[in-house]
Amino acid sequence: MKSGTSNGYFGQALKRVEDPRLIKGIATYVDDLRLPGLLHAAILRSPHAHARILGVKTEAAKNLPGVAGVFTGTDINPACGLVPCASSMPGLKAPRHTMLAGDRVYFVGHPVVVVVAASPAIARDALDLIEVDYDSLPAVTNPEKALEKDSPLTHPDQGTNVAFTWLLANGDVDGLFAQADRVIKQRIVHQRLTPMAIEPRGCVASYHAGEGSLTLWTSTQIPHLLRTLLPGVIGVAENKIRIITPEVGGGFGSKLDLYVEEAMCSHLAMRLGSPVKWIEGRRENAMSTIHGRDQIGDYELAVKNDGTVLAIKARTIADIGSYLQLLTPTIPTLTGLMICGCYKLKAVRFELTGVYTNKMATDAYRGAGRPEATYAIERLMDLAAAELGLDPAKIRQKNFPKPGEFPFQTATGLMYDSGNYQRALKKAQELARWDALLRQREQARQAGRLFGIGLSTYVEICGLGPSKIMAAGGWEWGCVRLEMSGKVTVITGTTPHGQGQETSFAQIVGDRLGVPMEDIVVLRGDTASAHYGRDTYGSRATAVGGTALIMSVDKIIAKAKILAGALLGASAKKIDFRNGRFWVKGKPKNAIDWKRLGQEAYEAKNLPANLEPGLEASSFFEPKNCTYPFGTHIVAVEVERETGDVKIVKYVAVDDCGPQVNPLLVEGQVQGGIAHSLGQVLFERTVYDENGQLLTGEFTDYPMPRARDIPEYVIGSTVTPSPSNPMGVKGVGEAGTIGANPAIANAVMDALAPLGIRHLDLPLLPEKLWRAIEEKTAGRKMKKPRSQS
Amino acid sequence: MIIQGTHTIAAAPAHVFDRLMEPAFLQQAIPGCEKLEKTGEDEYIAHLKLGIGSIKGSYAGKVRLTDRQPPHKFTMHLQGSGGPGFVKGTSAIELKAEGEATELHYSANVQVGGLIAAVGSRVIEAVAKKLAGEFFLKFSAIVEHDVKPER
Amino acid sequence: MIPAAFDYSRPQTLEEAVNLLAQHGEAAKLLAGGHSLIPALKLRLAQPKTVIDIGRIADLSYIREQDGRIVVGAMTTHHAIETSALLEEKCPLLPEVARHIGDVQVRNRGTLAGSIVHADPAADWPAAILALDAEMETVGPDGPRVIAAKKFFVDLFQTALRSDEILREIRFPVTAKSVAYVKTVQRASGFAIAGVAVVVDAPRMTVSVGITGVAAKAYRATAVETKLAGQSLSAENMAAAAAKAANRVEPLGDIHASSEYRAHLAQLNTRRALVLAASRA
Repeated sequence: MKSGTSNGYFGQALKRVEDPRLIKGIATYVDDLRLPGLLHAAILRSPHAHARILGVKTEAAKNLPGVAGVFTGTDINPACGLVPCASSMPGLKAPRHTMLAGDRVYFVGHPVVVVVAASPAIARDALDLIEVDYDSLPAVTNPEKALEKDSPLTHPDQGTNVAFTWLLANGDVDGLFAQADRVIKQRIVHQRLTPMAIEPRGCVASYHAGEGSLTLWTSTQIPHLLRTLLPGVIGVAENKIRIITPEVGGGFGSKLDLYVEEAMCSHLAMRLGSPVKWIEGRRENAMSTIHGRDQIGDYELAVKNDGTVLAIKARTIADIGSYLQLLTPTIPTLTGLMICGCYKLKAVRFELTGVYTNKMATDAYRGAGRPEATYAIERLMDLAAAELGLDPAKIRQKNFPKPGEFPFQTATGLMYDSGNYQRALKKAQELARWDALLRQREQARQAGRLFGIGLSTYVEICGLGPSKIMAAGGWEWGCVRLEMSGKVTVITGTTPHGQGQETSFAQIVGDRLGVPMEDIVVLRGDTASAHYGRDTYGSRATAVGGTALIMSVDKIIAKAKILAGALLGASAKKIDFRNGRFWVKGKPKNAIDWKRLGQEAYEAKNLPANLEPGLEASSFFEPKNCTYPFGTHIVAVEVERETGDVKIVKYVAVDDCGPQVNPLLVEGQVQGGIAHSLGQVLFERTVYDENGQLLTGEFTDYPMPRARDIPEYVIGSTVTPSPSNPMGVKGVGEAGTIGANPAIANAVMDALAPLGIRHLDLPLLPEKLWRAIEEKTAGRKMKKPRSQS
Repeated sequence: MIIQGTHTIAAAPAHVFDRLMEPAFLQQAIPGCEKLEKTGEDEYIAHLKLGIGSIKGSYAGKVRLTDRQPPHKFTMHLQGSGGPGFVKGTSAIELKAEGEATELHYSANVQVGGLIAAVGSRVIEAVAKKLAGEFFLKFSAIVEHDVKPER
Repeated sequence: MIPAAFDYSRPQTLEEAVNLLAQHGEAAKLLAGGHSLIPALKLRLAQPKTVIDIGRIADLSYIREQDGRIVVGAMTTHHAIETSALLEEKCPLLPEVARHIGDVQVRNRGTLAGSIVHADPAADWPAAILALDAEMETVGPDGPRVIAAKKFFVDLFQTALRSDEILREIRFPVTAKSVAYVKTVQRASGFAIAGVAVVVDAPRMTVSVGITGVAAKAYRATAVETKLAGQSLSAENMAAAAAKAANRVEPLGDIHASSEYRAHLAQLNTRRALVLAASRA
């Protein structure tokens, strides 16, 4: 990249500057905040999935010493707005999403009463003194049954469980299916997942009655979007709200929301005249922070005998839970948009029905709609290869667009900006030692072992995105300020919460300014310092936010040249700049550095006429397109016949996220993403019983991947720059999850293929595999256990 | 959750049926039952204090009987709640003469909610069976000796 | 996750602890390593009026050989058992089981006695307690009492320990190396879906098999033991015996494993544990 320096930070695998404070335990999270007069909120939640509230008795709780207030929906809801949803889908039926339940509860965990007290313990004690009289109602828990005529209703006043329908249709689907030699059909289920960030949610709200201003510290990915949305809920103007995001212990999409608790604590701080803190417990987190995935799709792929894929059809149901959160309806539409994967499909029809059930809302969770698409198309490609007797790698290659065909328009209407899918596949096969792996499988199979190889070639959509496709703007803002001392302050409108941009943004700016990274501070997550921002999600921060910084750096350099010229007695055009030094062309010995410029710019005694003091610039970057990272994952597994246990024998990931600012951060993101996939493919699932009770509400029942579950990764990359931004970077936060799901699943299904097992749905739990193996080998029909829904 | 079981009680069905309708007998047999009062025709309220290991909780509930066909069968509807959660269920109870004894079969559809459902799912069925077992053991003993318990 | 208020006392001697327990009765709970009680307190599933912390009583943490037996003090941690050279030599099943418990943090704090008096149906220790025919020595107002393993686990979360008694010491026989513990782990909680402890007594040609996680309480797989008594430990004999591992028990079923899968794992892990133990003879 163009750079003003030879620091060469860009591309270096530097350790994160954030890590020492995190590792030493001296970072500040929301729960570390102590404010004078702080009160503590606790929330009584519904134990019923669906019930009418006949009465609430709060007298005893109110009388408990130390309790500052006990509030029901009747007390709070009229004073507040509704939880917003940013989706503008036509025909969307949106239930009134109030702060607390009104006369009904709609899911286990639905907030019913909030207590505010002098200590968390008193608030908790008070919850036990509240009596709620519920009349339980039939719960809607199965999204397919929810569509039947006689189904109970999640929201009886709406008269239907259908939240929305959405159709994406392009090209001559019927004609192409008529031309097909074969149609590959498969029902594909994506289980519900719980994000389980290690730090649950939490917030502290403080209201300054004199100023009429509100400060909200909250564990979120989107402080700026909250500042945009909160005024409509609590009635404080946007410019009197300051949102601060301290350290965030994981988001994965689950903190990309305006939640009831954030608005309610803000309201209560105003109402009570004291700051109010609320910290979510683990069980609360599991039941009342958004869930991910939960889609059922009937897929059909039209193929020719030579492996050419023609068109795809899908009828999908998304179980979205009982309420709309910020992007709830949008997420499954991303599945439709990405359903063509890396392949030159000519036509698509994707019918989507969003269904209300008595569960927590779904929303963005790592990958957000794209893993569902990649998993579906990659399973279908494997099924097609198997039915046609083709090599899974070759059938993919046959249908890739060629590198010269980019930008490539998909049947779903997206414009893939760049790509070289062949190169990533080839590199992954080399790293995996593909031929040797095939021989290893052959030997294992001859010995009667269940050994399988899985492949996934994926493309995803990142760097969100042009404002025209986003509800509230897809630009990003960034500011770079040379301080008087010559140090550099970088302010980003993105909100890194683990991605490491305090490091990578310092690398980018340090290179371009020619300033050592040690002299750079990156500020983020405070709407008072970053006046604008669209925050961090959808793997957008570096591609969009990083570019806004580059634009700002260039503005500073341009101004610095004028100032340097004035100081050196030359015009700006005659000034050369490199390595943080400015000189008149041909006279490099007589150079001025940033320190001198900082001093001159702010002391402002020698400024040329018309030049403003200071050296600071901010910029909005509006991308023309999203970015489309891609890659290939190859996995080898062995399945133990007697138990159904899956062991990962080999894991190779080749990702192309464009030029890498910091390969160590890229690798970390890819590893973390694959770990999420290992969880989803092999054991994670959110289980509600038939009455809507959540059975996976603790870490004792919701299995997260542990260190011992993680195999050794072989990680490689190819570099195909994106034309969508000057650095050519694309984003990598979700790539691991998007690429890994189908690769692992395809490997397991390949291992079971010799037994005649075609497809099993996620998660591929040992018992599920054991049963499938038993049925095929022992020939006995197994009873479907009640515990395996 | 369906919980079912069969118990043999050494008394005639008519006798067993009668005793099952008497709160004083039932209170003695129901594990942890501190109070059982008739509040109307075929309606009762109950207070239970139940403990499994260190897990202890108090529950208040309502019981309603329907489909009463002495001495063959009746249906019991139960709804109770306490700190650790709630229980709601319907149980069909059938009595059959088996020589001089009664074979009692129950089949209950039980819904458990709240904390006990969330953290107790792995043992909830075992707990329910254990409690049912304890009830019938005690109930059989009382009925067989037919000593009216003191109130 | 905030417990209800409780009184806290920290006796310095066992006698003092027994007196406190007698005084508070059912309203009190003993706190040892805290790995069963603290979660229950935090969820408010347990709300004792008084918590009696026996963690500071001297001399409750020891592993010794005494009169030809191995004796382990109540407050001995899983970690101490896991790393005991004496046990590795004289009663190797114990360190092997300890290695399967939870994670390092749990093993550092959790205690042997705390685990077995809680009688979680999926805890690891009960399998070993049963397979080794351990003896539990308790102390109460009426003095000490010894309870045999077979009588100790009464039911789900229920032992033969009386509410005024404290488990003081657990005694094990010295065994050969021919022991094994094979466990299928519930990967979220770390507890056992099916954990099988096997002790092979080669000279007497007997085996003893303790199984945890499968039923509402840990049990001795007597059908397996009977089948193998006096038999050679051939692969066929062991497989045939292991097939009886879930006889006459009602396997639990939950979201992590159906009762059918649990029964299968009980059989499979029994076979594997037998093979492993026999190979160590």
